[in-house]
Amino acid sequence: MKKLLFVVLFMSTTLFAQVNGGITVPYIDFPMKEGKGMYSTRGKCNMCHSWGYTLNQGLQSKKFWREKVMKMIVVFKAPIKTQEDIDTVVNYLFENYGNGKLE
Amino acid sequence: MERRDFFKKAIVTAGAVATGTSTLEADETVHPIDNRKVSDIAFPEKRPLITYSDRPPLLETPREVFTSALTPNDLFFVRWHMPMIPNYINPNTFSISINGLVEKEIKVSLKELKTEFKQVELTAVLQCGGNSRTAFKPTAGGIQWGIGAMGCARWKGVRLKDVLKKAGLKKEAAWIGFNGEDKAVYNETANFVRELKLEHLNDNIILAYEMNGEDLPYLNGYPLRLIIPGNYSDSWIKMISNITATKEKQKLHFMEKAYRIPDNECECETPKNLVKKTKPIEEMNVNSIIGYPVTGTKVRNASPLVVRGVAFDGGHGIKKVQISIDGGKMWEDALLDDGSEGKYAYRAFTYTCKPKNSGKLTIMCKATNEKGEEQPFAKDIKWNHGGYKYNGIDEVTVEVV
Repeated sequence: MKKLLFVVLFMSTTLFAQVNGGITVPYIDFPMKEGKGMYSTRGKCNMCHSWGYTLNQGLQSKKFWREKVMKMIVVFKAPIKTQEDIDTVVNYLFENYGNGKLE
Repeated sequence: MERRDFFKKAIVTAGAVATGTSTLEADETVHPIDNRKVSDIAFPEKRPLITYSDRPPLLETPREVFTSALTPNDLFFVRWHMPMIPNYINPNTFSISINGLVEKEIKVSLKELKTEFKQVELTAVLQCGGNSRTAFKPTAGGIQWGIGAMGCARWKGVRLKDVLKKAGLKKEAAWIGFNGEDKAVYNETANFVRELKLEHLNDNIILAYEMNGEDLPYLNGYPLRLIIPGNYSDSWIKMISNITATKEKQKLHFMEKAYRIPDNECECETPKNLVKKTKPIEEMNVNSIIGYPVTGTKVRNASPLVVRGVAFDGGHGIKKVQISIDGGKMWEDALLDDGSEGKYAYRAFTYTCKPKNSGKLTIMCKATNEKGEEQPFAKDIKWNHGGYKYNGIDEVTVEVV
């Protein structure tokens, strides 16, 4: 009983941090499919977020991927500057993570 | 974060691969994907979970966990929007700022929160609006979650109302904006700010520093996060450090575009005919999940099988959970727990049956809330472009041997 009481008291006063000195998030490799534009896409997308964030959107239409890329540029300020760069990324995404439909 | 310090072990995460190869047409909602494996590497303070991304961390809880009213902290799902998350917070210097349309702009330290305000505890389900998104065909945009982007915890903290009162809201204040410590890579990128209409403020909305009797895990928002019981988790800001009162709604991408569904009766649309008028997802609909057995479990013929799971809704309360073992024709009531965790919590349920034949057996569960709302069959769920609010009747298929 004494032991139990001790445990209860202990539990109700654990207001200190469980982690002293912070955390380190592991690096996880999400391999990209080989294809035209892979290196360009890697540089432009993976600077800000993991490839997992991209590939786990599921297989999508060309329109979807174009809209996502535009959202990244307009809303999130991704530094994809030229139309050629935009097309390279969209084509890579659609060819490797597309559902075969233009829209 | 220092990339160099990262654990550089390259692994292939079996659980997280592109999905959506189905050739089904619109409006043929299916069961969410259910066979993903946990990653072979654990994130800080977590056991290995289904891993969709490391930057920002996106982790899903496996089905087996959903057998009790509380979800353990180290198995609790994780979803961040911004990739730059502070990897150290000093609890002795951390404070939250209250500003904007207030009588007095203040900073409240963690210690002050714990000592100078009324302490409250509340158990509530935290569920991503896109939980089970893999059910939607064609594939809806967003992370392709299975059923585990949810959890239920006992939260301890202080009422948001009390903290706002200390700063003194001005009469013209109508919106409260919340911001956390996570940041985008580029300074130009707007923060993940969410807003609450002041008229929606109530006693149950709390700033929580404790989860299931422990400090919040870093990945669940240490040292402080917002709790909005009954609502999907899009506004439960993690590592919350700033609250701003405004008169007008701010112009925010995450409020104007994200986490919104068609503003019509069925909350549905088709890919060819997207609905222009939208509304926020807000209150959770009635839902239930079988935690045991899982698809593929082998069970003994003519031997008692105890089915376990959890049910919840947006706070009206669960009236009953029913189980069917004949494909949804006959339904029998499951036993519910005593409900002592409150109406925003999971109700754990059990149902005992004895399989009569060897071979495959499908077990379904369906919850009904106190308002009389019950879960529809998966196939009857209508599509929306964000893949939000899926609550189809859950099922698992076991092998009777």
